[in-house]
Amino acid sequence: MKSSDNSRREFLATTLLAGATLAGCGGNPFTPEELSDVKPSGEMVKLLSVDGEIIEVDKAFLKPVPELPALSNTEARVGIPGKKFAMVIDLSRCKSVKKCQTACNHMHHIHPGQNWIKVYPMQDSEKTAPYWQPTTCMHCDEPPCVKVCPVDATFKRKDGIVLIDSDRCVGCRFCMAACPYSSRVFNWEEPKIEKEIADKPYSCETSVPQKIGTVGKCDFCPDMVRQGNLPHCVSACPNGVFFFGDILEDAVTNGAETFRFSELIKDKAGYRLMEDLGTKPSVYYLPPVNRNFPFENIEEDKKS
Amino acid sequence: MKKYKYILLLLFTLLLAPNILLAKTDEKNILALTLKYYNDNNISHHLWVNAKSKIDGKFQQIPNISVSFYITNYADKTNLLGKAVTNEKGEAMIVMPPNAKAEWLKSPNQNFIVVANETKQFDAAKTELAITKAKIKIDTINGKVINVNLIALIDSIWKPISGVEVIIGVKRLGGILNVNETQTYTTDSVFGGVTAEFKLDRIPGDKQGNIILIASLVDNETYGNLTAELKVPWGINLVYVSNFDHRSLFARRGYSPIWLELLAYIIVVVVWVIIFYLLLQIKRIKKLGIE
Amino acid sequence: MEKLAENKIIEDLLPQKFGKKGQMWVISLLAICALGFYAYCRQLYFGLEVTALRDYVSWGIYISNFVFFVAISLVGSLITAVLRLTNVQWSTPLTRIAEIIAVSAIAFAGLIIIVDMGRPDRFYNLFTHGRLQSPIIWDVIVITTYLVISLLLLYFPLLPDLKIMISFKERNGKWLQKFYELIGSFWKNKPEQFKITNKAINILSITIIPVAFAIHTVTSWLFATTYRPGWDSTNFGAYFISGAFLVGSGAVLIAMYIFRTQYKLEQYITEHHFDKMGKVVVLLALIYLYFNINEFLVPAFKMKKSEEEHLMGLFTGEFSSIFWFAISASMFLPIFILIFKKGRRPKWAFIAGILVVVGSWFKRYLIVTPTLLHPFLPMYDVPKNYLHYFPSWEEWSIAGGSLAGVLLVITFFARIFPIIPIHETIIETDSHEKV
Repeated sequence: MKSSDNSRREFLATTLLAGATLAGCGGNPFTPEELSDVKPSGEMVKLLSVDGEIIEVDKAFLKPVPELPALSNTEARVGIPGKKFAMVIDLSRCKSVKKCQTACNHMHHIHPGQNWIKVYPMQDSEKTAPYWQPTTCMHCDEPPCVKVCPVDATFKRKDGIVLIDSDRCVGCRFCMAACPYSSRVFNWEEPKIEKEIADKPYSCETSVPQKIGTVGKCDFCPDMVRQGNLPHCVSACPNGVFFFGDILEDAVTNGAETFRFSELIKDKAGYRLMEDLGTKPSVYYLPPVNRNFPFENIEEDKKS
Repeated sequence: MKKYKYILLLLFTLLLAPNILLAKTDEKNILALTLKYYNDNNISHHLWVNAKSKIDGKFQQIPNISVSFYITNYADKTNLLGKAVTNEKGEAMIVMPPNAKAEWLKSPNQNFIVVANETKQFDAAKTELAITKAKIKIDTINGKVINVNLIALIDSIWKPISGVEVIIGVKRLGGILNVNETQTYTTDSVFGGVTAEFKLDRIPGDKQGNIILIASLVDNETYGNLTAELKVPWGINLVYVSNFDHRSLFARRGYSPIWLELLAYIIVVVVWVIIFYLLLQIKRIKKLGIE
Repeated sequence: MEKLAENKIIEDLLPQKFGKKGQMWVISLLAICALGFYAYCRQLYFGLEVTALRDYVSWGIYISNFVFFVAISLVGSLITAVLRLTNVQWSTPLTRIAEIIAVSAIAFAGLIIIVDMGRPDRFYNLFTHGRLQSPIIWDVIVITTYLVISLLLLYFPLLPDLKIMISFKERNGKWLQKFYELIGSFWKNKPEQFKITNKAINILSITIIPVAFAIHTVTSWLFATTYRPGWDSTNFGAYFISGAFLVGSGAVLIAMYIFRTQYKLEQYITEHHFDKMGKVVVLLALIYLYFNINEFLVPAFKMKKSEEEHLMGLFTGEFSSIFWFAISASMFLPIFILIFKKGRRPKWAFIAGILVVVGSWFKRYLIVTPTLLHPFLPMYDVPKNYLHYFPSWEEWSIAGGSLAGVLLVITFFARIFPIIPIHETIIETDSHEKV
């Protein structure tokens, strides 16, 4: 737990102020634009450098940005340019601690009883081995849910993320019928959230606040990713089950460990769920071999 | 005799009970603060704090705690760096402001303190941090070899530091990818340096094939968190292809496949032309009737 | 048809005021509608929370009712268009019955879809942000088109009758008279006018058939375009259309019997009509049975893992009693009754019609719900009430209200307009005489 935390923080630091103005540190040949995807805002902030000099830095490169510039709906629908996100879930590490679920539910203020992340106890047939299978939205490259949406309320972005616009959704629930992974939930009643959260300005990227009569699902936390952070489930998992990354960088990380995506998938024989349906998911699974934990289904044991 | 004992015991507990209950309502949870120092690429630096508390036997991140950061080891108005409020993950941070200049230049070692004010749920809390000023430097030497040096300010002279663990890698989204099989390196005694051979084959960079190398010190007790970045053209050019603007069944409105649009519009037009023709016929009948 | 004097025909077929029975009927329908309206107000206020729908069973009796309405509305095209184009003479008195069933059912199909929406306040998004890729948009287009065509097909043959109606000024009362004049005063029985309407009706009869096929095929695609077991079928369009013709014809049998007995139309809707319609229903039931065998036998032969739970749930499991009831009521029993000449007498045909309609309603329920209870990944980590589906009272009331609404529209239509085309009946009687 600690190690993954640290590394994430450390990552925060590395992206911070990567492009501070270069006065006084002549050796650095980089302009801010080259080191970061963030566009300069034009607003400068004064701060103290490590060498004890007072320097000026563009506000957009501060971490955290004091107030994230509100994202327009159009921008949220296009996505983060030059990225293509993917997730790798290592089944050999999962023992259903469900910290991923708790963190996700907490951060997205999901209705009690509903979950965007589920950890299924799976057993493909009587004599095959049982294992835990966490599922998020698969963020399919050919998403069946998007195909059927009548009003563009759910859409596929350039960066591969499938999002929902709760301000657009008419609540027909066709997408829920179309999704073979059962990853979508519906806000059947007025979400029971604190006023403070309910008053937050809605954005498709934060998926907060949830809205009555609309569909919700795992969003790959694009708001976190935009800030250079990992999705909540990834940083919350104590066993490093979830790896997240930009497939165009050929790397995935769980915060503590970073692997080359292509090598990881090759070495561990990664696969995707229900490949035969042709949905082309962005979530890959590593088979539950050489497991870190034995399979123990405490809930089932309690029942029997 | 025994009976009396029990009765006494009972009386005793009854007398105590209200006190215990009262004490409970008064008792607040203990807030635990963690303070960290970050040097970001030897340019700027910032402080980071995390607020946690054990509630119902579980550690929880505490949001909405207002914290004040001070330079030096006493909380005083003159030393105030700034204030912040913890976010939903219980974190808050502050970038070193210009008013810290005088204090920062005073000595090679630096103390910081963070104070959380008392709230309804929590008692006031504070925590201190002492660091030695240090820098990590990253460079390349002939071929694809990375050279990293760690220096620290000791008696106002920058001196190489040996025996410290550093991470060397390529900056990726959310993490650092090791440049070879070695996970961490330890600085040597001569220059406080380490070398790492870059073994990543065909690693994607930006459009020009540039990648950013990172050398980093993580949670070091003496020096805090340090990073240094260096851009090198060792990657392959990023080829970004997106089917975002392609027509497909899963594309957005206005981007449906041509065959679908043609088919749909032809059918709709044909049928509705017929319908309008028939509506015109009603008009004709009307005309005939009025004549 | 017996020889009937023109005056007598007009006298017999003019719309009649509600009797005591009729008033009771209308009041009870209104009461059911009011209850449904109240339930819908609750749903608007509290959200779809008031239904028993949850994340797994996200479509319930609203959608099965929608499919049912769309299905029943197809009969308009069958009786008026298919039989007309094939020169079937006996269907004349049934055309208007079939057409009004079609119009009111398709109107309520549209309404029930809005009822099913989580955000009916954003209905306009379907027009301002509609995506052509979505089968729902196809459905919206096709339903509107079908409604317009059906209304036209109701209107054109009504014009000569309107002239007759207008001539009974005293009988009509002030408001009705005004209404008739508004929509039909320009009809003068001119030969040119007849020429235009006949042509128009012919064009409509041809146009309505592909549109009717489209409407129900698209409705079936709402299911068949997904991957789910029980829906993932290439047979679905044909399966739905054959079922639709069956349930629509069943509904016509019921309507024929009720109008015949309540409005004393024994001379117009004769035993001969029941005999013919009975035979049609047998044929349609056999066709539907054929598609059912395709739909269930083929996947059951393979028993793919994903299909197995679903199919076994229908055959022997949780849904088996409804399944076998629906199959017997909508197919086996009506075939058995109507295959005999005695069974095609009005009373028995009426019973067979009821069996068909009721069985078909449950059949639609079985098409929608059991599939949703058998997703690919097991149902897991949800509150207990997510694992089953039994409609809440609000859902029953709204569904009941919409059914009552359809009947109410038909009832009022029969109060205002002649339910059997007067003019066409007169012409046919004349031509019989000449022969």
